[in-house]
Amino acid sequence: MPPHIVVAPMLVALGTILAVLGLRSARAAQRAVSVLGGAVYAAVVGLLTWRVMLSPAEPTPLVYQIGGWPAPFGITLVADALAVFMLVIAAVVTLSAVAFSVRFIDEQNQRVFYHPLFHCLLLGVTGAFLTGDLFNLFVWFEVMLMASYVFVAFYGEAPHTAAAFRYLVLNVIGSAVMLLAIGGLYATTGTLNMADMSRRLAAPAAYGVDVAPVVGLSALLFVTFALKAGLVPFQFWVPAAYRSAPLPIAAMLAGVTKKVGVYAVVRLYFVVFAGASLPTEFGPISGNSPLAFLAPVLFAMGAASIVVGGFGAIGQSRLDGVFAYSSVGQVGFIVLPVSFAAAAQSASFRRLALAAALVYALHHALTKSLLFLSTAAVRGAAGTTNISRLGGLAAFSPALGGVFLIGCVSIIGVPPLTGFFGKFLVFETAAARYAAAPGLVPATAIATLLAGALFTLLYASRAWVRGFWGEQTEAVATATLDRGQLSILAALALVVLAVGVGFDPVYEFAEAAAEAALDRSAYVDAVAPRGGGGQ
Amino acid sequence: MSLALATVVGGLFALGTFLLLRRDLVRVVWGVAVLSQAANVYLISMGGVAEGSFTQVPILATHGGEVPETADPVVQALVLTAIVISLGTTALALVLSYRAYEENETVDVQRWR
Repeated sequence: MPPHIVVAPMLVALGTILAVLGLRSARAAQRAVSVLGGAVYAAVVGLLTWRVMLSPAEPTPLVYQIGGWPAPFGITLVADALAVFMLVIAAVVTLSAVAFSVRFIDEQNQRVFYHPLFHCLLLGVTGAFLTGDLFNLFVWFEVMLMASYVFVAFYGEAPHTAAAFRYLVLNVIGSAVMLLAIGGLYATTGTLNMADMSRRLAAPAAYGVDVAPVVGLSALLFVTFALKAGLVPFQFWVPAAYRSAPLPIAAMLAGVTKKVGVYAVVRLYFVVFAGASLPTEFGPISGNSPLAFLAPVLFAMGAASIVVGGFGAIGQSRLDGVFAYSSVGQVGFIVLPVSFAAAAQSASFRRLALAAALVYALHHALTKSLLFLSTAAVRGAAGTTNISRLGGLAAFSPALGGVFLIGCVSIIGVPPLTGFFGKFLVFETAAARYAAAPGLVPATAIATLLAGALFTLLYASRAWVRGFWGEQTEAVATATLDRGQLSILAALALVVLAVGVGFDPVYEFAEAAAEAALDRSAYVDAVAPRGGGGQ
Repeated sequence: MSLALATVVGGLFALGTFLLLRRDLVRVVWGVAVLSQAANVYLISMGGVAEGSFTQVPILATHGGEVPETADPVVQALVLTAIVISLGTTALALVLSYRAYEENETVDVQRWR
């Protein structure tokens, strides 16, 4: 199979955009094509995964140099285990969200621009995961953001417009900062190709690169990624944007676009900047690469996210508000192990910590999509997501109750669901860190994680008990549930269950992805940038 | 040259930030536009203006006359992309602010419902 398959997921998304645009007068066909596009996307991602991970002819990162221009002169697409892992997350969430949208969004809205924009969002995400070039990362971010701006403003009333405007202004500032960082990195290292940059930073003398500015510039980049991931103190746009967007899109935003920020941090800091050597002794920061600077910052932001997200979620009166705040807390759970990986001395611990973060990212994407889509089903049935106006939903529809319960139980972290393994690995990482070097930082980490787990238990059980048990309220008694929506939810719940039950291969996949993020030389060799003097 | 560029970039960023902090929605959109352009000017300046000769640029070698200096063409290509993106974003911001005006009957951010 030629390396051209790397570009296939993007082409599928692009083709679907064009097809659904063309079919906007044939509504049924448009919807069918949109769902079909999601399914083909998943199939292509599956094929790519098979080729990168399991292919009998030695599994290696796949690289496609667009137009035959060799790196670093052309645009490079790279599918290694890490990118493929993220693509699989995107594919699962996309397929369920697009199928759900067909049954959930009202017909007029679907007809005009919902489906083209949905696949545009997917195209941006896919490009960001696959690109091997810093400037293209910026471009794909913008493609993704453009679609998400419109989705946040989708319903077009005062709160939605306000949320979209704030979201837009904030992200324009983020993009300007990202552009500054990229320009600075280009001026400093003389390249935009990630593999080439990694190679040059690892041997600065040979290429005449000054490493010192890279730390500051990478910090600027980090701000943008933290903004996309919604980490504290950049979380304030998250709740309003998630509550304004249509609920299937909220599932996409929480499940997929948030992960783009996390992915970019892992990719750039562990693959591109990790090779740079810069001895530092500055307060608690010590080490010899930009990673040493990243670790404490990431730790503080992750811990703060867990606390802020937890508190916020408990105080919410609507189901979608609870899960929007919950996303802020959950991304903290993903980022804490990344900070351990950044501070780690041993390679094996670094891999364990990154694998824990990736497993948690997978868990959060699946579970949070399930919860957002269940909330959508509740809104579709009862017309409200206000917890005080819901009640007795479990008796009204045991199937919906069961699906929602699986989501709640998974996000709390009860075996054998995916959430259990996510939480278990994160705690194991923190405990291993404590065992290796007992001190204030790992103790704080464990305390924060425990508090976060407690918060999750509180808000998930509150949503379940108040919304699904007890007397049926008026809204629930007159509700009608869509069977199509329910069957999609059931399928997604089965995935959450299956990933937990058959966890071994999933963990191996996550470990391979973590390995790919740590093996800089494999990445550089695969892309094989040429020229530029030195080695 | 670098001092002038640095002053321009700094001034644009200051102006953009100032406008972003206004209560008037239209000024905020102006701030968005100015800020994106400031980043573009910065990006252009990162390309540097290096000593070179016109013989390196094919079209100048056959059609042009004496050209004393050349700049990095890559950043110019990048800035073209960035300009298009900021154009799109600014247009969307304008549309959104009009919609917000329709909904709230004011462009004052603090009087939004």
